[in-house]
Amino acid sequence: MKKVTTYTLLILCSLLFIAPLFWAVTTALKSQQELYLFPPKWFPSVWRFSNFAEAWSIQPFNLFMKNTLIVTLLSTLGQLVSCTLVAYGFARFQFKGRDGLFLIVLATMMIPWEVTMIPQYMEFNYLGWINTLKPLIVPSWFGSAYFIFLLRQFIMTLPKELDEAATIDGAGRMTVLLRIIVPLMGPSLILVAVFHMMSCWNDYLGPLIFLNDQTKYTLTLGLSQFKGMHGVDMQSIMAITCLISIPPLAVFFFAQRYIVGGIATTGIKG
Amino acid sequence: MKKKMSWIALVSVMTLMASLLAACGGSGGTGASKEPDGNASGAATTLRFATWDTGDALKIEQEIAKKFEESHPGTKVQVEAYADGFDQKLAAGFGAANPPDVMYMWDFPTYHQSLEPLDDYASKDKDLNIDDFYQGLFNYGKMDNKLYGIPAGFTTRVVYYNKKMFDDAGLAYPSDGWTWGEFQEMAQKLTDKSKKQYGFGVRAENDTYDLQGFVWSNGGSFISEDGTTIEGYMNSKETAEAIQMLGDMLKNGSAVLTGGKGQQSGEDIFKAGKIAMWESGIWPLESFRDAGIDVGTVEMPAFPGKPLKGVLAESALSIAKDSKNKDLAWEFIKYYVSDEAIKMRVADLPVRVSVVNELKKDQDPLYKPYYTMLERSDNTPAFLLNPKWNEVNRQLSAAVESIMFGSDAGEVLNQAVKDSERYLK
Amino acid sequence: MAHTDMTYSQQQTAAPKRLGIKRWGGAVPYLFIFPWIFGFLVFTLGPLLFSLIISFFDWPIVGQVTFVGIDNYVEMFSNDPLFWKSLFVTLKFAALFVPLNIIVALGLAMLLNQNVKGSAFFRTAFYLPSVISGVALAMIWSWVYSGDYGILNYFLSLVGIEGPDWLNDTKWSLVAMVIASLWGQGSMMLIFLAGLKGIPKDLYESASMDGAGKIRQFFNVTIPMITPTLLFNLITSIIAAFQQLTLALLLTGGGPLKSTYFYAMYMYENAFKYFKMGYSAANAWFMFLIVLTLTFLVFKSSEAWVFYEGEMKTKKEKAKPKRAKRGPQASREGSSI
Repeated sequence: MKKVTTYTLLILCSLLFIAPLFWAVTTALKSQQELYLFPPKWFPSVWRFSNFAEAWSIQPFNLFMKNTLIVTLLSTLGQLVSCTLVAYGFARFQFKGRDGLFLIVLATMMIPWEVTMIPQYMEFNYLGWINTLKPLIVPSWFGSAYFIFLLRQFIMTLPKELDEAATIDGAGRMTVLLRIIVPLMGPSLILVAVFHMMSCWNDYLGPLIFLNDQTKYTLTLGLSQFKGMHGVDMQSIMAITCLISIPPLAVFFFAQRYIVGGIATTGIKG
Repeated sequence: MKKKMSWIALVSVMTLMASLLAACGGSGGTGASKEPDGNASGAATTLRFATWDTGDALKIEQEIAKKFEESHPGTKVQVEAYADGFDQKLAAGFGAANPPDVMYMWDFPTYHQSLEPLDDYASKDKDLNIDDFYQGLFNYGKMDNKLYGIPAGFTTRVVYYNKKMFDDAGLAYPSDGWTWGEFQEMAQKLTDKSKKQYGFGVRAENDTYDLQGFVWSNGGSFISEDGTTIEGYMNSKETAEAIQMLGDMLKNGSAVLTGGKGQQSGEDIFKAGKIAMWESGIWPLESFRDAGIDVGTVEMPAFPGKPLKGVLAESALSIAKDSKNKDLAWEFIKYYVSDEAIKMRVADLPVRVSVVNELKKDQDPLYKPYYTMLERSDNTPAFLLNPKWNEVNRQLSAAVESIMFGSDAGEVLNQAVKDSERYLK
Repeated sequence: MAHTDMTYSQQQTAAPKRLGIKRWGGAVPYLFIFPWIFGFLVFTLGPLLFSLIISFFDWPIVGQVTFVGIDNYVEMFSNDPLFWKSLFVTLKFAALFVPLNIIVALGLAMLLNQNVKGSAFFRTAFYLPSVISGVALAMIWSWVYSGDYGILNYFLSLVGIEGPDWLNDTKWSLVAMVIASLWGQGSMMLIFLAGLKGIPKDLYESASMDGAGKIRQFFNVTIPMITPTLLFNLITSIIAAFQQLTLALLLTGGGPLKSTYFYAMYMYENAFKYFKMGYSAANAWFMFLIVLTLTFLVFKSSEAWVFYEGEMKTKKEKAKPKRAKRGPQASREGSSI
């Protein structure tokens, strides 16, 4: 009985989350004439799969895809390395000004991006990074508050005896981190990687401001090209949205079991 | 020993990061139009051209850029498509003194201080053939009697109507010279609430710029002609009446309120065949036809006994003051508004009389209303008259919105005038 | 009641002596956090200070820059009704969004934590909206919410309810925004789920042996054990609520009648529609201070309700033989945020 309720709830909820996307897919498949019919047609009369290919070729989306992949992979790598170091520093050491510094870490999450945008633009312009992918990659190598916070919260839940035992055996802190902590952090590192990939993949404001030339554009910038000042190519937007959602969804689908399953099986609890 | 190893690892990671940063910084120049890859010769001059256009219009602009490159060897035109983020991009570009060389422009009051005055170029360069342009267009690119933009395209506002819905209702199509009285009568007859079908759609958030046509046609205006006074203009009986009319049509049910910025817009509902008449510029025409609507256009209705006035939306091309390639930029603009390029830009209304005559655009019933409305667009819009208009407009927009939601026009406009006075001192 | 025992003991934890730190002269920790410090100085602090400076100027994007002292701040507090309006809208939004967001995410996570078949599918489904880009999201929601032609009202009409014109009705527009924002709770759900999976089964077993029912187990085991996660999600929710911009910008434009005119949007418009960079920077600094204060308060309070197992365990063993050993280090540890 309880199982039935659980499944009913799960199915109902997932319908809520999936239904609007169903519309996105069918919109992408419809013909121009069918787009705006009311009452809406649930299914297109002809399934125009060619719409996907057409939308993809309106602009150099292969190129956008390449740029997005470069940005996403390099910056994700940066986040993993830098945030692990920093989070460990905050979680496991006591040092002068630690709490104050950590508050500053958190405070940086609260800075609205619109404020620092223009000064940042000036800075990157001075460095000659405008219209390159660097502004989208390099800052990731210096940690992001959200992930530092997330990883720090996780490391704090690991028993300290682990570190201490290893330290007594003569291991340095870096060895402790690499040999003891990082293996246990697997799930949360995957979580960070997945989250960062998602936000990187879908970032719009950053690429918008820092990139000028279409050959440097990322997928979301390409997508936004369908939305002009005076009109929207809804069909292309939906088609491209469906296509560019597939890689992050696939990543998520394969990663999620490690994220939620992993922690329970590390054997550190109980 | 282990400890030592890990220290080396840590330090080397740091060094790597620091050097990465340094390397990236070092390799960059300060040149605005730097091309890090390609261009091995390095001899080509890059001209940056910023546009807000998307889709087919953007494709055409890229074609034009290619043609220009062919006739100007050693030049690369970098078409930068900012789409919906146009203002943000320009703001960042100008803010950091790194703007595009040539850009589309309409908001001269905001940007003119960073733009290059073009009077000299325009008067000296015979190739431009300045007399061939619709002369009224130049007023929109002038600030303090200096010309900052060369007209590249324009639109006036007309009424679109769905022929099939008129046929179904047994109504004759509207024709030039009609009045708002006739308009409202038709709208009533075309409305069938049970079918969620309406005669007209009114935007929840109107751009006050677009409403000026209504207001001028009723003999009102937002601001005095010398740009100093709003009291007695923005809240005059004529101004209030014209805006109130839209609010009333919503109240009596002959029009439906259509969504704001990102929502299902009036255009979408028109495409669904659920509103019979829609007021706008040339922008949605193509998409109406693509959606399979048999669409007609007609000039705006007049207020009885008063001359019909229209408002013009212009897109011009400007050169940034900070541009290092001003002469090349001028050449590009000149090409962009040449007969050849105008003919390529099929989505824009031609700005040259000769091209219009040659293509007989003003004979085509679908395009004719835009040109008759052009003749009626001789008032100066408020934003060109007062440098603080942005602030005043904030109050006015809020007032107009509340009229659409049922407020009394006279009342809220009085309040808007009161709230705006302090900006005009 | 093992858990209540932990509750008290946590605060009295005596931190064990750290080994291998002093020898390095205390520089080690700074080396670990060096990447962040460097990035903060280069990419954040500079731009941030710059924005503080320009908040004392009349700074249009183009044109003359003039020093105006604290005029921007004075204008904001005493002369600008939109400032108060947008602040109020944002607070109202936050008050609705933050608790609902946490309840929904935790609820879904608990549903998924029940050893169901096909959990991979359900997790992905719940996370789906989070991978959709903002432009498309806004379009989808506009289709859902449209008054006459919207899908939500279509379904409501099937059960005999005549729905409002959601986004054009001042009473409903903010609610509509909250619902739309809840749709993107995927990350939060996932973090909760990870937290839930980390709760040792034996805690539930011993609780139920103590005679605790499901509800008491939830409040006495589940909630205390996921408090670090809860703290994280609470704070990021608050920040997200205050920074909500995309949906307002793309979906309602702040309307109708400013009912969804968020503070972030007000700031954005001052900067990019009215090009008052100085004024916008002043707006931003004020918001920054509000969120900072809120976060600080949450953190202060967290000492009373957040339990870190890493510290609890240490304590459990140390505290059993010797009750509550306090030292100078312990008090610092206690105030750890």
